[in-house]
Amino acid sequence: MSDFKALSDAVIKGDINAAVAQTQQALEAGHNPHDVIDKGLVAGMDEVGNRFSKGQFFVPQMLRAAKTMQECMKLLHPLLKEGDVVSKGKILIGTVKGDLHDIGKNLVAMMLEGAGFEIVDLGVDVPPEKFVEKVQENRPDIVAMSALLSTTMPAMPQTITAIEKAGLRDKVKVMIGGAPVTEKYAQEIKSDGYASDAGGAVNKAKGLLGIP
Amino acid sequence: MAAAIPLYKPLVTDEVEQIDQGARYILEHVGINVLDNACLDMLGEAGAEVDRPNQMVKFRPDWLDSALAQAPSSFVLHSRDGYNDIHLGEGKVHFTNGGRVFHFRDGRTGQYRYTMLRHVARTAALVQNLDYIRFYMIACQAHTVKREVYHLNDFFHSFNNTTKHVMGGCDNLEGARQVWELAGFIAGGEEQLRRKPFLSIVVNPISPLTMESNMLNVLRFCCTHGIPVACDPSPMAGATSPVTLAGTLAQMHAEALACAAISQVFSPGAKVLYGAVPTVMDMRKMDVTMGSIEMAMMNAAAVQLAGLYKLPIFGTAGVTESKISDVQTGSEKSMSSLLVAMAGADCIHLAAGMLDSANSISYAQYVIDNEIIGTIHRVLSGIRVDQGTLALDVIGEVGAGGNYVMHDHTIEYMMDEFFYPQLAVRSSYDVWEEQGRPDMLSRSKEVVQRVLAKSKGGVLGPDLVSRIRKTFPGIQNAQ
Repeated sequence: MSDFKALSDAVIKGDINAAVAQTQQALEAGHNPHDVIDKGLVAGMDEVGNRFSKGQFFVPQMLRAAKTMQECMKLLHPLLKEGDVVSKGKILIGTVKGDLHDIGKNLVAMMLEGAGFEIVDLGVDVPPEKFVEKVQENRPDIVAMSALLSTTMPAMPQTITAIEKAGLRDKVKVMIGGAPVTEKYAQEIKSDGYASDAGGAVNKAKGLLGIP
Repeated sequence: MAAAIPLYKPLVTDEVEQIDQGARYILEHVGINVLDNACLDMLGEAGAEVDRPNQMVKFRPDWLDSALAQAPSSFVLHSRDGYNDIHLGEGKVHFTNGGRVFHFRDGRTGQYRYTMLRHVARTAALVQNLDYIRFYMIACQAHTVKREVYHLNDFFHSFNNTTKHVMGGCDNLEGARQVWELAGFIAGGEEQLRRKPFLSIVVNPISPLTMESNMLNVLRFCCTHGIPVACDPSPMAGATSPVTLAGTLAQMHAEALACAAISQVFSPGAKVLYGAVPTVMDMRKMDVTMGSIEMAMMNAAAVQLAGLYKLPIFGTAGVTESKISDVQTGSEKSMSSLLVAMAGADCIHLAAGMLDSANSISYAQYVIDNEIIGTIHRVLSGIRVDQGTLALDVIGEVGAGGNYVMHDHTIEYMMDEFFYPQLAVRSSYDVWEEQGRPDMLSRSKEVVQRVLAKSKGGVLGPDLVSRIRKTFPGIQNAQ
């Protein structure tokens, strides 16, 4: 365990350069990549999660730690056999048609990325057709939609309908969010999930894909 | 850089001088009624103008100035732990709670009850754990404790529950002596206590312009034994002082200066705080109002007046007439504490834990006030402007359309730039629903439970406590 303490500490601090260097050193010293992940990276992230839940760590620190882990994983990926690493999943995200607000959507994307999801960000004012087209192209696990205005919220069920018509509804889970959006509304429009904030979105995404 | 205190001055220079001249006029021509013959003798010998038959003392301006010149402009209210020392006269603001109430509001039942010794112990434990309440004023009366051993008990249970500085009232000379002996025992000797007095005493002249014998004897004992004293005149505008703010300030200033000057006659160099508890009467029904905005304004003005003589000030704020922790409580406390802090008072007392015109305490209110005070300290610490905080390089790096969430700069500065309240609700509506709709009051009650649960043992340690109890058999259990 102590072999990987410097790596865990670098992950906790969100020090990307130090963590990457530690990962390299560990591999050069002949350590098993799985040990580097479990005893170094994951151990560090566990501590980050622990501190976050106690209120000792703030969101930026958690995101930085996750980003640090991802950078280290880039070195480790080629060394792992196919199927060794389960990807958390791919998420297509965008602000719906007619709505130009993207701060909340960006925060959610960043948190999801930090948590290990692969993100395809379609930006703002995304019409239903474009969501459909990108689902066909990227084969995501989840489609995440954001709206800030009561006037643009109807674009959410319209997009869901478009996905249904394209025969893709059973291939993806749909999540929605944004200030005026509620759990009740999510149920009404038959979205699979809703979260009120960025942290909640990560939990919801994990829940939808059965990730602990 | 901290903000340049004072940020609020209710009086312009000319007005400060007019009020000061008024107070000097009062002291020279009206005088102070000193109801103690030994004290009258001392003042007469020291050169004050004494009218024995009427027990009046008048203070010539030059005599007053030479007496006041001996009062220290800075000194320390020591803590026992060494981490919570209060450095007065250094331009810092220190808040504390308020004392000697008779009612306790039970957070569970909402009922008011008489306060007991256990309430002294528990409020001391709360203050020990609340960072922004910088020292402890003995919060309430212990109703079942007999007069003969009263101060032995209220001070002992304070010392046993906080290592912060303890300030309390003393009803008589015997009480002051008991407390001094107890503190000396804890300090390990009289000399140790003199070097670092970790207690102080608050005394009250009676407005208008009166000092009674007990108060003077306690004051004299403290001055000659190295115990710092806060001398708190408490005029009520419209009742025991003129209805006008300027008139009340002039009278209170005279009372505070007289007290400080007399302290220096008792013992040159005695550590004395210029006290100020000016209140106003609501003339509609003659209700005393401590949460009135005029009280805050007068306390801020008192900071200016004490400053003329470079005397550390013991001002007042954060009080309310409200009987419960409600909207009035929050608005009155916040407004007055903020104003008096912005005026730069060295100490601001009564600012935590009190309700009901400083007649009652509530545990939850201590925790709420601690957060209000924390927020005020954020105001006092100002907006830091330097290369690092301007962040021009970071703004350039992130560029248009980016974000700062994960930037090194964010992580480096996020802890220090913002005040993070522990009670205020900041989550989204849904999270708030999930959490059971908390508010500041419900959260403060949780903190109270947590703090009191972990504070049961006291801080003096069983060995010292048993030696203290053997030496001072009058000490009772905190029931």
